[in-house]
Amino acid sequence: MNKTGKLINYLAGRVLPGSIIPFFIVSAWWLASRTGTAVVPGIAEVMRVLLHPFEAPPELYSRSIAFSLFMTLIRFTAGFGLAIVTAVPLGLLAGQSRTAERILYPVIQMSRSINPIALMPLATVFFGLASVASVFTGEMEAWKYDLADQVQLAMIFILWWGGFFPIFLSTLNGVRSVGAPYIEMMSLAGASRVQLLKNVIFPHALPSIMHGIRMGMGITWLVLLAAEIYPGTRSGIGYMLCTACKTSDYQYTFAAMIIIALTGLLLDWTIHHFEKKTGHWQTRER
Amino acid sequence: MSSPSGAPAFSAGRISKGYKSREGVGVQALERVSFEADEGKITCIVGPTGSGKSTILRIMSGLEAPDEGSVRVAGVQPSDMTGRIGYLTQRHTLLPWMKTGDNIGLPLKVRGLAREMIKNRVREIAESLALNGLLDLYPYELSGGAMQRAAIGRLLASDAGYCLLDEPFSALDEKTLHALQRLFLDIAGRSRLSVLFVTHSIDEAVFLADRIIVLSAGPGRVVETFEVDMPHPRDRISPLFGALIERVRQKIESVLRDDAAVCGADSATGGH
Repeated sequence: MNKTGKLINYLAGRVLPGSIIPFFIVSAWWLASRTGTAVVPGIAEVMRVLLHPFEAPPELYSRSIAFSLFMTLIRFTAGFGLAIVTAVPLGLLAGQSRTAERILYPVIQMSRSINPIALMPLATVFFGLASVASVFTGEMEAWKYDLADQVQLAMIFILWWGGFFPIFLSTLNGVRSVGAPYIEMMSLAGASRVQLLKNVIFPHALPSIMHGIRMGMGITWLVLLAAEIYPGTRSGIGYMLCTACKTSDYQYTFAAMIIIALTGLLLDWTIHHFEKKTGHWQTRER
Repeated sequence: MSSPSGAPAFSAGRISKGYKSREGVGVQALERVSFEADEGKITCIVGPTGSGKSTILRIMSGLEAPDEGSVRVAGVQPSDMTGRIGYLTQRHTLLPWMKTGDNIGLPLKVRGLAREMIKNRVREIAESLALNGLLDLYPYELSGGAMQRAAIGRLLASDAGYCLLDEPFSALDEKTLHALQRLFLDIAGRSRLSVLFVTHSIDEAVFLADRIIVLSAGPGRVVETFEVDMPHPRDRISPLFGALIERVRQKIESVLRDDAAVCGADSATGGH
């Protein structure tokens, strides 16, 4: 199939069906804004905000949308990155060692049911306003490194909490489901534990890990936007949404919601792409 | 390749093995099974379903230990032969996430050989198995015959002189099957492999084997050993070939009849 044909197929097959519901929502929004309630901004107003992402609105402590999104993504990367680098190794460990599993599993199953947003007040008490910057420079100097100072430890903690469990459990599952014949084959070949991990266990678990990452990402994204509404935050899309609401600049609230939704979709697509790529062999295995 | 001690390639000395089913009922798979298989020869084990054929291979590979008795590979314990015993199962264990070429080269990678050397050796093996051009495909993209050839390729790459094959060709159509059997004979002869080959097909055993060991079912016992000294390649339509098949078949059937008679007697007494 040629390129144009592919594009038309993609538009007709994926984009069009996916646009049906957004179309009705936008239509309803348009109708609502025409009847003239104060809470619903016009589409044009919101579009103006979205089309000038680097313009700093005076209402929002002079932070632009682009900067807000940037801050949100930095926090996301820090918290979710930490979740990945802790959950995957622990999942691989628990999947291979009964002892490790017996130690970790009950604690993790219990912790998992505690909503990370509900942990936010406690995390704030524990970590105070400590940030990544204050860890390195001390509380007094932290303000000098503004960006790092706006990545609060309490926030990283609850983001980690939101992302860790699905990744850990999926990794564990992925390791557990490695067929015994593969392991026996490797041991007969004289493979070491590391070789077994590298050639069999990790590649076999990878699609499952990706699936966990995708689920964890969804949760982390939700948690992050809720966390940015908490006091002590000075930036981020969630902060922008909340502040704009307080000052009745609803065009910014709407713009923030649209950005949150689109970024969430984009993140999901990205990971889904890797999930399919690493799991290409799964559906066709025989 | 011959063992320094002059010991047989594979030997089993009165091995017994039982399993517990899920309900906790004991099932005797093997009962005092003894046999020997010579260096550089193909020894086939035939027997009906439930005769513990696969169990013998699992024990011979060192994956499982017998309840009683002992096995030796080249005169030593299987556990001392790690990396020198090749094991090909009915359901191939090619890694589905690895390209065919990487799968074939896996034993060499495990041994820590340089990438360039692995590549060359894999290419050589692929040549002899008519797998060139398929090395960059994933196993799921191969036909059933090509998959088994790739599995044999990995066996060859492991350079294991002692090979255990568990009905490796049973899922193939007849034409592919015969081609693979000829190919395997050729390779085994050239590399002087010592092979223990489990099959339920008498035809396959008579075509391949230098020695045929016939097992009875439930529990598996050795009932007869046939020495086959027909030269290769064997002609399937020759009278000699047919006669041997007939002798092995009769042996197996007589064992099955005896078992059936015993079972019949059991149920008769049970009925009273």
